[in-house]
Amino acid sequence: MAVPVASPSAEEKTPSYVAIPPAKPFQSTLRYSSNRKTIYDRNLNRTKTTEISLASFAYLFNTLITYHHSKSSSVSEIEHRLNRAGYPIGIKMLDLLLYRQPPRSATRPTRIVELLQFIHGTLWRALFSRSADALEKSTTKNNEYMIIDNEPLVNTYISIPKEMSQLNCAAFVGGIIEGMCDAAGFSTDAVSVHSAGEGDEMWPGKTIFLVRFKESVVEREEAIKASGG
Amino acid sequence: MATKAARIGEEVWKSRVDKINAEVVTLTYGTIVAQLCRDLTVPNTINKTDYNAVNKELDRMGYNMGLRLIEDFLAKTGTGQCSNFRETAEMISKVGFKVFINITPNVSNWSKDSDSFHLVFEENPLADFVELPDDGRAQDELWYSNILCGVIRGAMEMVQMQIEARFVSDVLRGDDTTEMRVTLIRIIEDEMPPDDE
Amino acid sequence: MAGASVYSFYIFDRHTECIYTKRWTGPQSIPQKSTATNALSNGAVPVSVKRAMKAEDDAKLIFGTIFSLRRMARQLGGKDDQFLSYRTGEYKLHYFETPTELKLVMLTDTRVGNMRTVLYQIWATLYVEYVVKSPLAPTEHPRGVGVANELFEGGLEKFIDSIFTPAQ
Repeated sequence: MAVPVASPSAEEKTPSYVAIPPAKPFQSTLRYSSNRKTIYDRNLNRTKTTEISLASFAYLFNTLITYHHSKSSSVSEIEHRLNRAGYPIGIKMLDLLLYRQPPRSATRPTRIVELLQFIHGTLWRALFSRSADALEKSTTKNNEYMIIDNEPLVNTYISIPKEMSQLNCAAFVGGIIEGMCDAAGFSTDAVSVHSAGEGDEMWPGKTIFLVRFKESVVEREEAIKASGG
Repeated sequence: MATKAARIGEEVWKSRVDKINAEVVTLTYGTIVAQLCRDLTVPNTINKTDYNAVNKELDRMGYNMGLRLIEDFLAKTGTGQCSNFRETAEMISKVGFKVFINITPNVSNWSKDSDSFHLVFEENPLADFVELPDDGRAQDELWYSNILCGVIRGAMEMVQMQIEARFVSDVLRGDDTTEMRVTLIRIIEDEMPPDDE
Repeated sequence: MAGASVYSFYIFDRHTECIYTKRWTGPQSIPQKSTATNALSNGAVPVSVKRAMKAEDDAKLIFGTIFSLRRMARQLGGKDDQFLSYRTGEYKLHYFETPTELKLVMLTDTRVGNMRTVLYQIWATLYVEYVVKSPLAPTEHPRGVGVANELFEGGLEKFIDSIFTPAQ
């Protein structure tokens, strides 16, 4: 339905508005099966608690790593590619998880710490069935935060050869975090992934996700705080 | 035979499988297909996806997965060799699919000489949340879940069966069912050690 | 199994290739190989080319033997029959084959009992977990590439140590 942008009262004055022609109605060329199994028919929460074997995930994740490994010339390039692969998942998970918030208490994260707690808790529980292990703020830089996972589930079966010891495949999860931050309106310079398990007997696979928000995000947060928000 | 397979599948799934949220798998598979659709384009075009090439690559990836996954499958289930292809079909559906992606596609449409059958997928976790691109081609050319064909082909090869697997319909294409045809080509003989001297 | 000792362990793939070798050192190496007392673990660079060739010859010899034995077992005992072990005056060879035709072989001293479960566990809990599922290892292992990774090596050593009490 076309609604002229200008109101009729504009006739009284010089007409300074023109009506925008109605958009051509969108015509999908897709065919849909007749048995109501499309994504539009099914309940979005249908698979919320469905489980699959961790091994299947490992094989798929392997396939993803192998694919990007074969196209990369360095460890940092593999990590970058894994980050990019995870990024769109973060964007989608934000929508999905907000949709699934309990109706009465549902809120969108509008502060840095709220968002990080949402990632550390809600996102982690949805993906890995448990919260991340710690959330820390840098004591020196006001835009840096760390989410810590003692034993990233995605790395369960991964044995890194010596010549690639720098590689941490949880960069994929870093990408998911980055996508979620961006989609929530908290842009980051990067979410980098660091192995911190060396010499740690208890948690050799300990991984730090370092979230560096853009200065503008920090400034906005401070402005909101200053205005008593 | 069918009930025995179902029992093994349930038992292993319940007690011997570490699990993860299915949506993580769905979304991870999605990024793989999306990546291939971006990377594999028709020569001399910028972003016209070569869906045939994507199908092939998915099948190849699945094949490599199948070669690995079968070891895991056998170690977990403790199953030995099947005595015939019908038993194999039951094991694929009720144990293999159950243990790895928690579904049991129906086995049907047996050929007269019992060397080919259909797997009918009521559920397909790989395709949850998925709609194919509305470009007038994807629904005719892309087999979104084609990795599964490769997985079965790779896994069967490791237990000395050369098979062919291909999708014949997919609800993502607007069909009413998602079905895969699996055909036994031949039994693979033992490889001989190379002759010295 | 106090006092018992393990000499060596091999994995052969379906292409009949030896994809993993490990030898244990110490006073209880196979007697007739008393010259080869240095570690030749996991095909690492051998002390001398000669010794490396010896190791490779051993693997070939062992494969030829199990290949014939398993064929014989099937001819005499039916197509599902498998041989489990054989014993000489000096050593005992234990054998386990998976339905994917992966063949695991272990040489121990003659006093060692049935090792079938041990071999099964090496396959199911170490090989499958750390080699098969490792994304950076190739799917197949021509010349053994990708088998001897850190997790597998470490796991195997620990597992074997737990079974064979190290000689005092």
